[in-house]
Amino acid sequence: MKVITKKEFHGFIQKLINNSAFNVEGVKAKGEKFVFDTLETADELRLDYDVTILPPKKYFLPQYETLMEFTTSEPFENKRPTQSKKTIIVGVHPYDIIAIQHADAYYLDDEISEEYLQKRKNALILGSDVLTVGEKSFFGAMGTGEVTDGFDLYLTDLGDRVVIDIGTKAGEQLLSHAEHVKEASKKDMQRVQKIRQAAIQGAQRDLKLPPNKWYDLLEKNRESSVWKEESDQCLACGTCTMVCPTCFCYDVRDEVDIDMQHGKRLRTWDGCLLREFTAVGSGEIFREDILDRYRHRYYRKAQYLPNRLGFVACVGCGRCSSQCIPDIADPVKLINMITDASSYEPLETTATPQSLSLHIDDIKQGEALHEPLPATLQEVKKLTEKETYFKIALDNNEPFLFEPGQFVEVSIAGIGEAPISLSSAPNGVSFELVVRKVGDVTSALHRMKAGDKVGIRGPFGNGFDVDAMKGKDLLFIGAGLGIVPLRSLINYVIDPRHRKDYGKVTILYGCKEPCEMLFGDEVAEWDRRDDIDHMRTVDTCPEGVCWEGDIGLITALIPKATVDPSNTIAVLVGPPIVYKFCNDILLKLGIAEEDIIVSLERRMKCGVGKCGHCQINGKYVCKDGPVFRYADVKDLPEAFT
Amino acid sequence: MKPTVAFFDFSSCEGCQLQIANLEETVLDVADKVNIVEFREVMKEHAEAYDIAIVEGSICRPMDEERLRKIRKNATILIALGACAHLGSVQRLGNQWTAEENKEEVYGKTIPEVTDDSNPFFEQPRHRSLDEIVPVDLVIPGCPIDRNEFVKVLVALLQGKKPPIPDYPVCVECKKRENVCLFTIGKFCMGPVARAGCNAICPTYGLGCEACRGYVSHPHEKAQTDVLKKYGLSTEEIMNRKTMYTYKYVEKQQEKPREKEVKA
Repeated sequence: MKVITKKEFHGFIQKLINNSAFNVEGVKAKGEKFVFDTLETADELRLDYDVTILPPKKYFLPQYETLMEFTTSEPFENKRPTQSKKTIIVGVHPYDIIAIQHADAYYLDDEISEEYLQKRKNALILGSDVLTVGEKSFFGAMGTGEVTDGFDLYLTDLGDRVVIDIGTKAGEQLLSHAEHVKEASKKDMQRVQKIRQAAIQGAQRDLKLPPNKWYDLLEKNRESSVWKEESDQCLACGTCTMVCPTCFCYDVRDEVDIDMQHGKRLRTWDGCLLREFTAVGSGEIFREDILDRYRHRYYRKAQYLPNRLGFVACVGCGRCSSQCIPDIADPVKLINMITDASSYEPLETTATPQSLSLHIDDIKQGEALHEPLPATLQEVKKLTEKETYFKIALDNNEPFLFEPGQFVEVSIAGIGEAPISLSSAPNGVSFELVVRKVGDVTSALHRMKAGDKVGIRGPFGNGFDVDAMKGKDLLFIGAGLGIVPLRSLINYVIDPRHRKDYGKVTILYGCKEPCEMLFGDEVAEWDRRDDIDHMRTVDTCPEGVCWEGDIGLITALIPKATVDPSNTIAVLVGPPIVYKFCNDILLKLGIAEEDIIVSLERRMKCGVGKCGHCQINGKYVCKDGPVFRYADVKDLPEAFT
Repeated sequence: MKPTVAFFDFSSCEGCQLQIANLEETVLDVADKVNIVEFREVMKEHAEAYDIAIVEGSICRPMDEERLRKIRKNATILIALGACAHLGSVQRLGNQWTAEENKEEVYGKTIPEVTDDSNPFFEQPRHRSLDEIVPVDLVIPGCPIDRNEFVKVLVALLQGKKPPIPDYPVCVECKKRENVCLFTIGKFCMGPVARAGCNAICPTYGLGCEACRGYVSHPHEKAQTDVLKKYGLSTEEIMNRKTMYTYKYVEKQQEKPREKEVKA
């Protein structure tokens, strides 16, 4: 533990500011509040601040960030902007250090985001003890008032001098810029402890339930009237998510200059309180009620992220609490209200300091998660008024391997990116998509022709488990566009090379009108083949149109199939409304919950479990799905709404 | 072939068109992508047919309605430019009183042979937004519009893409700019219900948002009213905040119960 005089400390910071190799960011006053901003002089630094408006998250996940630049003529020769200067962030409170560790765990888990990693590795964190406790802060109650790692240097301002703890080699090197650095005395250390403990004691608020009990409390109180009472006052303005150090959701969009040539793919913060957060291309919104959005935020903090990362995603900074105008975003208030309303018995536990083991230096290389690979449209065929077929191959000539049921993100430079189900059985080389014209990307795709270039990311998600289905009778039910992803599995199974591995195959296909039926040639083959039972139906058939099949809803077709429920796996794919009814019918047929397989649609923006849009409660449709066993999702309140 | 574009104005200050005229060097890029056939701010030519009609101003008199209908007929795409065309803007506040009351307020004494309805320039002045008269394809909101947003909308149109007009509240952009929330320093703001896209320019300079871009598609109005009340505004003051640019919504709400009465 080191110590220098306040004057020398200022000299040290000034020296860093003057050094052209560094970009020094620190806490400054903004009106009566505080912000992290570029330090022009060391005098601007305010280590006596309570809490900043935005957390230092903005240095690693900026409010607006260019993911790549492109020209529309050479769409995927994109370049990613890089940073040259080291960023030094001065004055990061312990709760924010822990929040950065949360972000590390989130962005550097299975899929390591190179975009994040670069910025994170490029930064030096100079932590600071809390000298002034924010009115709404409760980090003391959350166990986030002190840290043992996650910083390069850690400062405690004693007024006349500053005690400095060295966290890393890089921190030690940085400190070599300071002069007259001495060993801290025992007395200095005692003063540090006193300041730290005072902050922790001062930031307890009156939280009635320690964070390790939140999961259980929320588990038992999803239907509490408190959610409705509080969300009735919610403006759905998104503030609580914008200011939160552990909210990581984002949106991605393309912008093109007026020259129509140069453009960029831009990432910006998004928030689950906003109405359009869950909107998919066809316009459907999966969390329409403010109540659901309001509740989702708390469940994400107390259940969904703990399930994924192992800790409550709240550090007690109090930013949401102090910046929510109707005062309904305060976790302390909400947890206390639910505790009181439910007469939940708080057990005698206290907050234990949070410790995270991920070390940024151990991670060498990430992946540019948003960078598509160039690909070429090999074949384009209009199937119906709204649907077009595309055969696509990557330009790198590497094999394209995927499982039936997975999806890809299709990019058109300047327009954007959209998740599209793979519709062909894997052949190792090319793949097929069938796209309905609903949004910007799909409309632009419909204007393209063979030979045109697109970008591809993926394949993503959890596909159909073709091995687990071996030996079983298979009942395929495709409703509307559901036939598109289902086709990848059907074609795999009925391929002569695989057909013998499976029992009886029954295919039920329903769409609105005969003109909407896809893959007519293949449907005819299903009719012809005697190793496939096939029935089809249309909701309505206009007069004079020839239709060989039933007329009525798909729900009426299912009971007509002859199945042996004890040995049948039913695979059901269709729009949300279909699941509501068909699952019940299948269960009535006697098919077990484990043997009903569904593929769900949500807004899958990133495909890698980061952007947050596709969540069904704690499940990420892009990673955990889109293919699920009914048994695994039936109890999720948001799955079949 | 480059699409043809024509600009028109009704009751307005023409400030939105001025924003476009003031695009500086970008205006050349715009001129390179579209063929401007009518734009009173910068040229004297007139045109009878165009792909895109960009219309500023609120619709006031029957003669304006007629002219707008003609523009609509001549255009493939009709864009409402700015708060007047989008909402009726501040002049719509006049709808709270009768035409006669307004005339008297403005001119003191009215001279029947000059100011009554027989003079088409004074006929039944009621301010309405474009979409209350003809179908509007898209809106570029704001008072005035943000010229960069205008360019973005134009680019989107040329790309065949949905124009990037946000449907979330100003608070989102305000927070991203790390502004001190005006409510926390004793000021008032319509940001929580107002449509973003302006990059929260007013709150950034310490002025409360007045929702010149209208509300988001699903504003939680009741919660906003509660908040304004909670932070100390009287019912009348709240009404003033809600009517500045957005009297259209108040009028629509007043119409609703009346419709119900009629049905009953």
